[in-house]
Amino acid sequence: MPDRSAFHIRNLALAAGKAAIDHTISPGEIVGLAGLDGHGQETFLKTLAGLEKPAAGQVSIDTAAGRLAVAGFRKAVASGIAYLPRDRRATGIFPTQSVLDNFAISTVGRDARMGFISTAERRRRYEVFRERLSIAAPSPAAAITTLSGGNQQKVLLARALALEPKVLLLNDPTRGVDVATRHVLYEVFRGLAAEGMALVILSSEIEEILVLCHRVLVFREHEVAAEMSGAAMTTDAVIAAMFGRAA
Amino acid sequence: MIGSLIRNAGFALILLVVLLAGNLLLNPARFHPAAWGTLIGLAAPLIGAAAASAPVILAGRGGIDISVGPLMGFVNAIVIQALFLKAGISSPWIILPAALLVGAAVGAANGFMATVLRIQPIVATLGTYLILVGVTLTILPAPIGPAPVWLKAMAGPISILPLAAIFVFWWLVHQTPYYDQLMAVGSDDRAAYTAGVPVTKVRFIAYVMTGMLAAVAGLMLTALIGSADPNVGPTYTLIAIAAVALGGVSLAGGKGGLAGAAIGAIDIFLLQSLLTAFNVSTYVLQVAYGTILVAAVMLTAVQERLSARRAA
Repeated sequence: MPDRSAFHIRNLALAAGKAAIDHTISPGEIVGLAGLDGHGQETFLKTLAGLEKPAAGQVSIDTAAGRLAVAGFRKAVASGIAYLPRDRRATGIFPTQSVLDNFAISTVGRDARMGFISTAERRRRYEVFRERLSIAAPSPAAAITTLSGGNQQKVLLARALALEPKVLLLNDPTRGVDVATRHVLYEVFRGLAAEGMALVILSSEIEEILVLCHRVLVFREHEVAAEMSGAAMTTDAVIAAMFGRAA
Repeated sequence: MIGSLIRNAGFALILLVVLLAGNLLLNPARFHPAAWGTLIGLAAPLIGAAAASAPVILAGRGGIDISVGPLMGFVNAIVIQALFLKAGISSPWIILPAALLVGAAVGAANGFMATVLRIQPIVATLGTYLILVGVTLTILPAPIGPAPVWLKAMAGPISILPLAAIFVFWWLVHQTPYYDQLMAVGSDDRAAYTAGVPVTKVRFIAYVMTGMLAAVAGLMLTALIGSADPNVGPTYTLIAIAAVALGGVSLAGGKGGLAGAAIGAIDIFLLQSLLTAFNVSTYVLQVAYGTILVAAVMLTAVQERLSARRAA
C-alpha cells in the first residue's frame, strides 16, 4: 500500500531563491537528516512540524479525511504529526513538574472523566510507555529533574508517542544521552517504523543515521545536496555531500 | 497536594504556627473560638486578594495583576452604590452574579492586553489599576452605606462560606486538564507550546479567574466594612502580592498554589494582629511586613537549594 498515509513535501523552499525540495515519506520509513549545523536541516524539520513557515511550497499529509496541508503547529499536531524538540532543557521538560505531568501534558484531555482528571487513568497510560521505553524513574510523582538526561528524553518521547502520531519528527533525539539508552531508543524507533509510523530523524552524528535510517537527506546551504540510501549511504559520502564535494 | 504544599510553603506554615501560638497567648479573647467568625471575616479580604493574585502569577512569564485591589474597590462601589442604593437590588442572586461578571470582564480586559496584545502584564494591569481607581472615585466620591444584611453576615458568623467557596472552586480547577496546562505554561511556556498547549488561551483564562476571584474578595471586603469606600480596595494590591510570595508561590510561575497564597495572607494577618496587640505603630507594621517577606523568600531559596542538593 504505497502512500497510505504518506507525508508529502511539494516545492518546498527553505529560503527565498533556494532550490525546491520535493519528497514523499512513506509509512514505515526512517529518514535521516544530515548536514553541517545551520545548513537548513533544522529549518526543514521545523517546517515539517508546522513550527516555521516555508519561503515557498507546502507540506501535506494523507489522513482519513483526505490530504491535509500542514499549516501551523496546531494543525500539524491535529493531523498526526508529533515533534520532539532538540533542546530538552529549554523547550522540552517542565522542571517544576513531576514525571507524570511531564508525560501527560500533550494529552491532558485524555485522562478526563466528565471533565475531571483521573490520576489512575493517567498512571495506567504512563505505565504502558514506562515499560515500552524502560524509563527508570523513582516514581511517577518524582520531579522530572531527578531523572538522568536519557530518562528525561524517554519521558519526552513518551509524551510525543502518547499522541499516537503517524509521523514522528525527532530533532537530534540522542544528544546528551548515554550509549545504553541510545540503543534502547534505536530499538524503539525501529519498532515504531515496523508498526507503520514514518520517522524523520535529524542527527548530528552520521553513524547514528547510518545504523538507523533507510534514507538520508544531506543538507547544504538550505538545499538538499544529496539523497542516499542503501549501499550508497556511507560516512565518506555523507561527509563529502555535507562539505559540497563530489564523493 | 499536601506534600507539595509543605514543600513550597514550608516556611510560611512554620511561621503560621508560631504566629498563631503567639496570638493565642497574648490575645486569648480575640482568638477565642466564639470570635472565630468575626476573626475570619476580618482576614477574609486579604486571603481573597492573595488567592486572586495567584492564578496569573502561576501562569508565568511576568504574569501579575496589580489591579486586584482596585477591582475589589470597584466591585465594592458597584454593589453598594449602583445595585443596592440606586437600583434597590438586595437579592444575592443578582448581586453575586453581577459582581462575578464585573470581575470576569475586568479580568478578560487584562488578559486581552497581556496575552493577545502582549503588553507587559505589570504595565497593562497598572493601566487597569489607574482606570479603576478613577472610575470608582467618580461613581463614589465618598464612603457610603449600608450593605445588605445577608452580605454583612458574610463577615460574621458565616464568614468561612465565601473562603470555602473559593477553595472548592480551586480544588475543582485542580482536577481539570486546565490545571496541568496552567502549571506547564508557568513552568516553561516555550516547552508548553511545543507540547501542544494553547499558551495564550491558558494565560487568558488565568486572568479571567483572577478577575473573578478578585470580585469575590471585593464582596468579602464589602461584607467586612458594611459599606462602600473608594479608598480601601487599592491598599490590598501590594500586600496581596507579598502574601503570595510569602506563601511559596514563585513569581516566575509554575510553582505553588492558592493554598500557599492563603497561608501567606494568614501569616500577614496574624503578624498584624500580634503587633497591634503590642500597640506597635502602623509604620513599624509596614517595616515588619517587608522584613518578613524578604526573609521568607530568602529562606525558601535556601530550602530549595538544600532539597535540590539532596535530590542530586
